[in-house]
Amino acid sequence: MKRAVLLALAVAVALAGAWSGVSAQRGGPAAAPLTARQAAPIDLTGTWVAVVTEDWRWRMVTPPKGDVSSIPVNGEGRKAALAWDLSADASSGNECRAFGVGGIMRQPGRLRISWQDPSTLKFEFDAGTQTRILTFDRAAQPGAEKTWQGFSRAEWEGPGIGRGPEAPPGPGAGPAGPPVPGGGGQGLRGGPPPRGASSIQRGGSLKVVTTNFKAGYLRKNGVPYSEQASITEYVHRLPQHPNGDDWLNIVTVVEDPRYLSGPFYTSSNFRREADAAKFAPSPCKTDAPLPVKTGKS
Amino acid sequence: MTMASLATSARAAIAGACLLLAAAAPATAQVNFSGEWSGRYHEDQPDRVPGEEPGDFSGIPLNDAARMFGDSYDVGRHSVLEEQCAPYTLPYMFFGPNQFRIWQQVNPDTQELVAIEMHLGTYQQHRTIWLDGRPHPPEYAPHTFMGFSTGEWNGDILTITTTHIKQGYFRRSGVPASDRTTVVEHWMRHGNLLSQVTIATDPVYLTEPYIRSQEFVLMDRGNTNWLYNCEYAMEVPRDKNLVPHYLPGKNPWTGEFEAKHAMPREGVRGGAESLLPGWKPGAPAARPDPAKNGGFPAAVLPQPLPAGEVRAVKVQGNVYLIIGAGANIAAQVGEDGVLVVDTGAAGQSDKVLAALKGIAGGKEIRWIVNTTPTADHVGNNEQVSKAGRTVNGNQAAVVAHENANERMIQRGVPDAARPYNTYFEGSRDFPFNGEPIILYHDDSSVNDADTVVFFRRSDVIAAGDIFRTDSFPVIDPAMGGSIDGTIAALNRLLDLTVPSKMLQEGGTYVIPGHGRISDEHEVVWYRDMLVIIRDRIKDMVARKMTLEQIKAAKPALDYEGRYGADTGPWTTAMFIEAIYKDLTKTAAPAPASAGAR
Repeated sequence: MKRAVLLALAVAVALAGAWSGVSAQRGGPAAAPLTARQAAPIDLTGTWVAVVTEDWRWRMVTPPKGDVSSIPVNGEGRKAALAWDLSADASSGNECRAFGVGGIMRQPGRLRISWQDPSTLKFEFDAGTQTRILTFDRAAQPGAEKTWQGFSRAEWEGPGIGRGPEAPPGPGAGPAGPPVPGGGGQGLRGGPPPRGASSIQRGGSLKVVTTNFKAGYLRKNGVPYSEQASITEYVHRLPQHPNGDDWLNIVTVVEDPRYLSGPFYTSSNFRREADAAKFAPSPCKTDAPLPVKTGKS
Repeated sequence: MTMASLATSARAAIAGACLLLAAAAPATAQVNFSGEWSGRYHEDQPDRVPGEEPGDFSGIPLNDAARMFGDSYDVGRHSVLEEQCAPYTLPYMFFGPNQFRIWQQVNPDTQELVAIEMHLGTYQQHRTIWLDGRPHPPEYAPHTFMGFSTGEWNGDILTITTTHIKQGYFRRSGVPASDRTTVVEHWMRHGNLLSQVTIATDPVYLTEPYIRSQEFVLMDRGNTNWLYNCEYAMEVPRDKNLVPHYLPGKNPWTGEFEAKHAMPREGVRGGAESLLPGWKPGAPAARPDPAKNGGFPAAVLPQPLPAGEVRAVKVQGNVYLIIGAGANIAAQVGEDGVLVVDTGAAGQSDKVLAALKGIAGGKEIRWIVNTTPTADHVGNNEQVSKAGRTVNGNQAAVVAHENANERMIQRGVPDAARPYNTYFEGSRDFPFNGEPIILYHDDSSVNDADTVVFFRRSDVIAAGDIFRTDSFPVIDPAMGGSIDGTIAALNRLLDLTVPSKMLQEGGTYVIPGHGRISDEHEVVWYRDMLVIIRDRIKDMVARKMTLEQIKAAKPALDYEGRYGADTGPWTTAMFIEAIYKDLTKTAAPAPASAGAR
């Protein structure tokens, strides 16, 4: 028995040494740093459709002018919302104000996510035919001109960063590329996940901070955000639902000292579609609100 | 060293090495959610904070049954005594105004996380999310407002599955959530921001899972608003059993919401089709796909008792439920012996007696009470009686109302299986095992022979078939049953039940004739359902509709998915016909109740 214990210690030391060697190689000068794509702890690519179960009356139809319900606008924001003029936006070429970075996630539409290059994610929206470029390159700088979608810096968050393609395969890991979340009972109950466990046990999320955008609307009916705003998003790919649905959850935090009295939190949910067949780009267009009636319809 | 011992040593070495490595592995993935969190209401604020407006079903993948429920919903339902303090159930809890405290329950020996505990300031609810791998309880277990939750880590996402949730609402405008709802939550933390996604599956009222998400912010400083003072009380003089509701087509608020907020009527009516981009008024309804509501692993779903198994389960005090032998059996056990309420369906006597023996502690079966004369309740009377013994040495006495004995005679039940200790008055009481036993009888409930058994110190009621959680009540006008009598019997049941706190949960437990252990909340919803369906049929009768026209109008549609059946011994059509026959046995039935508008 004593011999077995000594043998166990020897094997443990050997394995631990091997592991630390791998770790050292990862961080050592000889190994090339992982690209953002290689380091991705979750796979966001694919076509996702917005499922509008919240704020339906402000997202699926154009609400009446001045309806700022739910949004922590300040006095100036309220005043600007009351000054909204849909036809003036159209005539001045500003139809896309409701499709800018501060409002695009709330538009009913489809979102197609792909890697433009190993350091750049591309978010394409069919609503308003908008494209957002999310860069992981810390050296990248915004252009001189502000745009509807602005300049977005992205970074992975969570315990699984950088272990995607190199991690030992587990029950939820794909054969290659970023791991695909599993879930539906495949997760871990209780204590910490074992080292090198499946991808779903590592998880992670995407943090996006966007600047350098043109002012736009938080809501179709002209509730404003200014160019002074900061917009932070957290993108989660949820563990697969037991019925097979895959969901993307995107939390958006808008802070705008000009028009908001405090941070504005929303979260939007998208369901994965099998393909991009229903991705149908359309121009920026906001319908006029229906008339408000005082009695019953 | 032999080959065998070498192999053993090698296995031990590798196992030991793995243990050492595992011990060294960092706990990297778990996120600590502990702290005090406060909600942010930047989505659907008018629904979530001040309260929903009637008729708004937008954004919900609901079905026609839910729409009918919502259309008949009168917010005055919350003035009903037993509903005044009823909390939101889990499918809505996190949408209303809320703050909650989270802490961890850790095994002191292993430091493993056993559970996450939550105290919710709204309605003073407590919730435990088990992380130790335990399965969900069987389906006969009591349901609660917060349900039974288990969690698992998916990286830094905590995924929680909750079942055993009481009936409630998905939205305060009266969109119902059934007690068959399963809620999956995903919690994510980013600094001081907690994001929660909830996905509710309800095969009774939703055509597909209903996803919502909300944000909570860590509170910088504590808040004292953690208690919920609610005292239910009659505040206006009126019938305390009034159930406010609107008859079909008579809700005065219909149409107001869409007019006020400039919305298309079709959108306000909700439905899965209306949730997707490109939806326009007039779009065809989404075809329900039952598979969308499925897929849950068995370990997280309330499981029925395996076929053929009979099991005794403690309810509280001295009272047990014996389930699996046809109708439910109750048993009270103590120093004096065993009192059995009903004996189940014929052919199960060996299993019933084995279950009784398991809880009797060597005591004799002294009494048997029959709640109703139907075969599924009294099928083992003879065998259970013979297995017991009264204090004077006779076989255990079978007690029932005298009408039950008459009905059994009419059915040809042999003498040895019939009650020979009958009573004829409205109630009878006697002491047994140190607690008062009170029998209540109504001349007409589901039939004219029923008995309700109240164990007063244990605070448990065996209700017989006036209350069941598996179907509409089997009202038999041919045996003296009536809808009004059944409602009256339920009202008395509500008089007897008292929740453990003002918050409408626990306290008096009710063993139904069939189905799961319940409390006052389930009884009041069942009573409300019968009042509403009765009033609709009454109104239709008053409008000279024929039975076939009434059946075609589906006056029970909003409850069919939960209690109805198209086939079997008790269909929805039979239930409607029983009420119709009862209501039309006199030339001019009374108008719908005062609660119907």
